[in-house]
Amino acid sequence: MRRSTYLIPIIVVLGAIGLSSVFIVDEREKALVLQFGRVVDIKEEPGLAFKIPLIQEVVRYDDRILSRDVDPLEITPLDDRRLVVDAFARYRIVDVNQFRQAVGAGGITTAENRLDSILRAETREVLGSVSSNDILSSDRAALMLRIRNAAIAEARALGIEIIDVRLKRTDLPEENLDATFERMRAEREREATDERARGNEAAQRVRAQADRTVVELVSDAERQAEIIRGEADARRNAIFASAFGADPEFFEFYRSLTAYERALQGDNSTMVMSPDSEFFNYLRSDQGSRSAEGD
Amino acid sequence: MAGNTGGPWGGGGNSGGNGGGRDNGSRGPGRGKGGGGRGPGDEGPQIPEIDELVKKGQEQLRVLMGGRGGGGTGGSGDGGGAGPFLTRGTIGVAAVIGLVLWGMASFYTVRPEEQSVELFLGEFSSIGNPGLNFAPWPVVTAEVIPVTREQTEEIGVGGRGGDAGLMLTGDENIVDIDFQVVWNITEPDKFLFNLRDARPTIRAVSESAMREIIAQSDLAPILNRDRGAIAGRLQDLIQDTLDSYNSGVNIIRVNFDRADPPQSVIDAFRDVQAAEQERDRLQNVADAYANRVLAEARGQAAQLLEEAEGFRAQQVIQAEGEASRFSAVLEEYSKAPEVTRKRLYLETMETVLGRIDKIILDENNEGGGQGVVPYLPLNELRRGVAAGGSN
Repeated sequence: MRRSTYLIPIIVVLGAIGLSSVFIVDEREKALVLQFGRVVDIKEEPGLAFKIPLIQEVVRYDDRILSRDVDPLEITPLDDRRLVVDAFARYRIVDVNQFRQAVGAGGITTAENRLDSILRAETREVLGSVSSNDILSSDRAALMLRIRNAAIAEARALGIEIIDVRLKRTDLPEENLDATFERMRAEREREATDERARGNEAAQRVRAQADRTVVELVSDAERQAEIIRGEADARRNAIFASAFGADPEFFEFYRSLTAYERALQGDNSTMVMSPDSEFFNYLRSDQGSRSAEGD
Repeated sequence: MAGNTGGPWGGGGNSGGNGGGRDNGSRGPGRGKGGGGRGPGDEGPQIPEIDELVKKGQEQLRVLMGGRGGGGTGGSGDGGGAGPFLTRGTIGVAAVIGLVLWGMASFYTVRPEEQSVELFLGEFSSIGNPGLNFAPWPVVTAEVIPVTREQTEEIGVGGRGGDAGLMLTGDENIVDIDFQVVWNITEPDKFLFNLRDARPTIRAVSESAMREIIAQSDLAPILNRDRGAIAGRLQDLIQDTLDSYNSGVNIIRVNFDRADPPQSVIDAFRDVQAAEQERDRLQNVADAYANRVLAEARGQAAQLLEEAEGFRAQQVIQAEGEASRFSAVLEEYSKAPEVTRKRLYLETMETVLGRIDKIILDENNEGGGQGVVPYLPLNELRRGVAAGGSN
């Protein structure tokens, strides 16, 4: 009884000491063993590791790729047009010892602040040395690479390897936005007006062509009609000529009679005539005056 | 680790543990009367169960120790209860509970859409496939990751305010873009070990890639024909970037939801479309007009021609009629010219003179041929005729 009452606390204490002298370094992290703040051991490989309890402490740092978004930043490229850019970086802590020495106990927060200022400075410098057309073009990838390469050297002092710097936003500043919208609107209006004008132009052309074709069609038809009428007259004359030519003297007589009949209609004619005319041959005598005189 | 990976599994394990304890308790009263009588004043109903557990633990401990086990287990157990029962009993119970807890912590399930990554003392050891997996705690820990499940990042949609999807094009226009990136995990170990903030990283990379592509293109092609090409390039660019991080992420596809002009100028763009349609409309109206007047003109032309043809037919037929009438009359005339001539003359004069006003003056008496003419009041005659005509 007495033995066991002492045994248990001893086992517990020994266990606690044993556990606190062992630690696991995860695949995702690197660890520093500090003895009174001094780095005595670096554990970069995952696995089981040991330390002296109470005296030494373990500081772990993430070994994965970390990300850092830099706040939007207004830059002035060579052509003095302002752009708002927004960079983000992917980085990794490669040298934990140096990292620890550079950032001290502040850890990742301090590192991020330092990184921000490095990235801001490099972004400003690189993008300030080119024109905005270069930024807004296929050179962008090369520019991102330049920023990265420039930042790498400075970040190495922090024990950080910058894997990638990318530009996210490259936008016009807020105050330029409205002007851009206005310009876009004006361009569209120009296009719309152009479309409408072209429509009118095409419509007018179609109408004019149609009107012209109408005139051509009608006058051509009139020409043909006149030809036909001419042919008709010719044919008529031919018919008459062939028929009347059989006895021209009789035709003259016959046609005159017809003409008298048609021309001397009732109401509009008054005839003053003497009874000597042939018609009145028998008006005075049954022997016929004319024939009698003639005889 | 296993506890936080699978909620259902962890819950199940706990309830199983409780069930086990209750089983022991219900079986207990048959065997442990003495134990039950010993501590009624302490904790009420829980004490007998614990006692039972203690006894069972003692038995198991003996079996484990091997030495003093054998046939006299029950007896020596009762007898030993008076001795160092606390120590042995507690240890046994603790061992059982520990064993159960350890089992719960070590076994875990992986669902069909998942895979697990096992770490032996923090070091990557293997990938667990769907099914029941064993990772002896605490030396092996496991993380379960959904691999085949498609995950979607929506970019440019609302979220961070109205201008989230606004991007600057190469010709300094602004376009409003929404797209989705659908991804899954192909290599769970890389995914786990290489990227801390996977989703934000994928979002940031996607947005960056899209802005890069948009910045290299003009506005017009983005709005219409280049969408497919952009989606393809975007997918490649995102994939390349993520591969450079060794992220184990696979981009399945990029859905290009929307590429519109910004809200505040969209009216102007719509007006362009309206203008295009108006142009078509104007052309159509003009075409309609052209078709109408051309058809009318063709009709008019046909009418003119037909009228002319009709005139020709009429003239010819009339002429033929007249000619044949004359021929007929001539034929009769040639048979008896004198009589016919006279008759025709008289008949005609009869008709003509029967119709018209006539004044017959006999001028034979005077002997002068023209003697009557000077006396003719021609004006009055005309007037009389006019008056008569008007009356």
